[in-house]
Amino acid sequence: MAEHTFLLPDLGEGLVEASVLAWLVAPGDTVERNQPLVEVETAKSAVEIPSPHAGTVARLHAAEGATLAVGAPLVTIDAAAGPDAAAGPGIVGTVPDEEPPARRVRLRPPPE
Amino acid sequence: MTTSAPAARGERDGRADGAAPARPAVLTMQQAINRALAEALAEDPRTLVFGEDVGRLGGVFRVTDGLQRRFGEDRVFDTPLAESGIVGLAVGLAMNGWRPVPELQFDGFAYPAVDQIVNQVARMHYRTRGAAPMPVTLRVPSFGGIRAPEHHGESLEALFAHVPGLKVCAPSSPAEAHQLLLQSVRADDPVVYLEPKARYWERGPVPDDGPAPPVGTSRVVRPGRHATLVAWGAMVHRCLQVARLAAEDGVELEVVDLRWLKPIDADGLAASVARTRRAVVVHEAPLTAGLGAEVAALVQERAFRSLAAPVQRVTGFDVPYPAGPLEPKYLPTVDRVLLAVQRVLEF
Amino acid sequence: MPVPDRTVAEVLDPAVPDPIDLGGLPTDLLVDCYRHMLTARLLDAEAVALQRQGVFPAYVSLLGQEAAQVGSAAALDRGTDFVFPTYREMAVALAFGVDMVGYLASHRALWHGGYYDPVRSRFGAVNAVVGGPVPHAVGWALGERLRGGPGCAIAYFGDGASSEGDVHEAMNMAGVFRTPVVFFCQNNQWALSVPNHRQIAGGSVAARAAGYGMPGVVVDGNDVAAVYRATREALDRARSGGGPTLVEARTYRLAPHSTSDDAGRYRDAEEERYWRGRDPLPRLAHALRSAGLVGPDFFEAAERDARGRVTRIREGVASAPEPPGTDMFDHVFREPTPELLRQRAAWCEEERP
Repeated sequence: MAEHTFLLPDLGEGLVEASVLAWLVAPGDTVERNQPLVEVETAKSAVEIPSPHAGTVARLHAAEGATLAVGAPLVTIDAAAGPDAAAGPGIVGTVPDEEPPARRVRLRPPPE
Repeated sequence: MTTSAPAARGERDGRADGAAPARPAVLTMQQAINRALAEALAEDPRTLVFGEDVGRLGGVFRVTDGLQRRFGEDRVFDTPLAESGIVGLAVGLAMNGWRPVPELQFDGFAYPAVDQIVNQVARMHYRTRGAAPMPVTLRVPSFGGIRAPEHHGESLEALFAHVPGLKVCAPSSPAEAHQLLLQSVRADDPVVYLEPKARYWERGPVPDDGPAPPVGTSRVVRPGRHATLVAWGAMVHRCLQVARLAAEDGVELEVVDLRWLKPIDADGLAASVARTRRAVVVHEAPLTAGLGAEVAALVQERAFRSLAAPVQRVTGFDVPYPAGPLEPKYLPTVDRVLLAVQRVLEF
Repeated sequence: MPVPDRTVAEVLDPAVPDPIDLGGLPTDLLVDCYRHMLTARLLDAEAVALQRQGVFPAYVSLLGQEAAQVGSAAALDRGTDFVFPTYREMAVALAFGVDMVGYLASHRALWHGGYYDPVRSRFGAVNAVVGGPVPHAVGWALGERLRGGPGCAIAYFGDGASSEGDVHEAMNMAGVFRTPVVFFCQNNQWALSVPNHRQIAGGSVAARAAGYGMPGVVVDGNDVAAVYRATREALDRARSGGGPTLVEARTYRLAPHSTSDDAGRYRDAEEERYWRGRDPLPRLAHALRSAGLVGPDFFEAAERDARGRVTRIREGVASAPEPPGTDMFDHVFREPTPELLRQRAAWCEEERP
């Protein structure tokens, strides 16, 4: 078993947030891959998010009615071992990032 | 020309979105454009909004949400899928006294309409010796940064700025989006209004309609004394990020939002560079024959003796906008802009 | 429960309206069509799930259009013909033998045109500008006639695209040049939010064929046998020098336009229910069973096979490698310009940690 925290993806090409309408699962529930976990609403539509893993729901990270930023934790699944949990590691749940303002280049002010 | 009847202004304040007249409403950019469109439709009965899915659906980015319900199907309507036809329709409507505000759903869908935009809209006034003005505002959701499918993320500004007879602008914030759109629709010349999709959902204060700087005016969004960053659309935010990082090193960067890409505010650029002595222009579009070249040329023509270093360009590459994971590599990154700043500081 | 499970219930539902006539078609062909339609249905649901899970930035579902796509693809000759798709032809790709991991790489936004080889696959790159590829089909077909080849081109497009100038220019040229091409319109009733009656003056895409000097055929797009026959007839005509045909397959897009869309904003649920009752999959299943063409275990085995294949495709596309950044520069030209090479070198230099 391994915990996977699923981050809210951009559900509609450039959206920045979504609101939780209703949870369809509770902590402790066993879920199948692709089983609907939660209904969320974006500026474009209301959609159900299917579970990326089979396993057990460990934690919900947002209350119903809450608005979450894209990239914020949505739910943690204790994933069942096996091929499903191994499928696409590091891909499911990642979000398109606005490049963080990380930097490597340092500057010096010019002589006055 | 503006026809701003008192009755229209009353209707404007009565909007259902609860915008308090006393304090600027906080809106997303797509809401700000929606509000400007509603104000344009309310203040001038000749204004028409049309395009693909702009009516019942309210646009794929909800920019025209509710407008058909409010202003009726004659003034806000869906067209068949026919981009060249949509712009051609605008030409005929304008010749018959209307003020069309067509939408092309995505930047990549402007290319099928290039014939009507370039051969017809842009030169009708010239061809008719002024008898047939073209008060057409062509709205185009534009630029990249949203991991969109192909043809859904393109930078058209250099293409259209190059066409005699077209004016071009691109807002960087909800307030700018509101103001520039009202200016565009009130202008009697055709304006290509490029909306940065990547900033549609950004929230910001949107003051009520009021006096605006003339068409072709840039804006200093952050003052600084060591170098000027010039940008438009979503790249203004990239430049502001860079300016904040540079400040950590004691470097004060001025950020100029060009706003209008034609006419370009040459005086504003020269004034900024006269203060900072260095300029870096940042855009998403490919480098070669991009507007960065125009900015660099204007700066060296107007402010050659002020310059302490050659103007640098940080741009997309001479490649089509790439898909998903490559797009952030294509768009100017913080580090690429910082490197260019370093080059002008250390020249 | 997971969406794909609904398929079992649908398949076993005995109350299926609109029986379809399988008369004269080989059992192998029909069974293959069923397998492809079922696989496409399951893969489509997986693709929607992958979008909701953040793996695909966007996806365009073909739910409900499986018969139109698979039936027409089944009529093609994979050795000689060439397909020009738009962006919703996943089931055509599947039935035509395209590498589906490579195809879906386009929806995962790894590369806009996907990772498959459109020339070797004889299946053009996914194209988001509707109508744009239709003249290409005419050009390909003209080239085939000029070189004396046996192939036909087929251009897929929708009711929305039928309004585009490119489509009309293409049809007229095909009529003038009598090229071996089939214009295959999937009329799924909705061009994003705009219904047929606001899109197609006169109400029929097929009717336009008369103006371009070619036959126009309307076919029930949810009847895979009827679609196959109509496409086959059009291809036979084209191959024997009879010129182009326009086939309009009347079907229905049961899903929203894309994963970014909300169809509830512009159409009512009653209409969707009506069309769910005409779902092409149970219609074919019912016909196969009624005609006694398949044994009692067929459907379960077909579903098991389809699920296995879908799982492999899903895992393949989810774990496919991202292209290196240098790919941006390396596919622009055969002979890159010095300036582009300079930009590439500068990018590599700046990327270095």
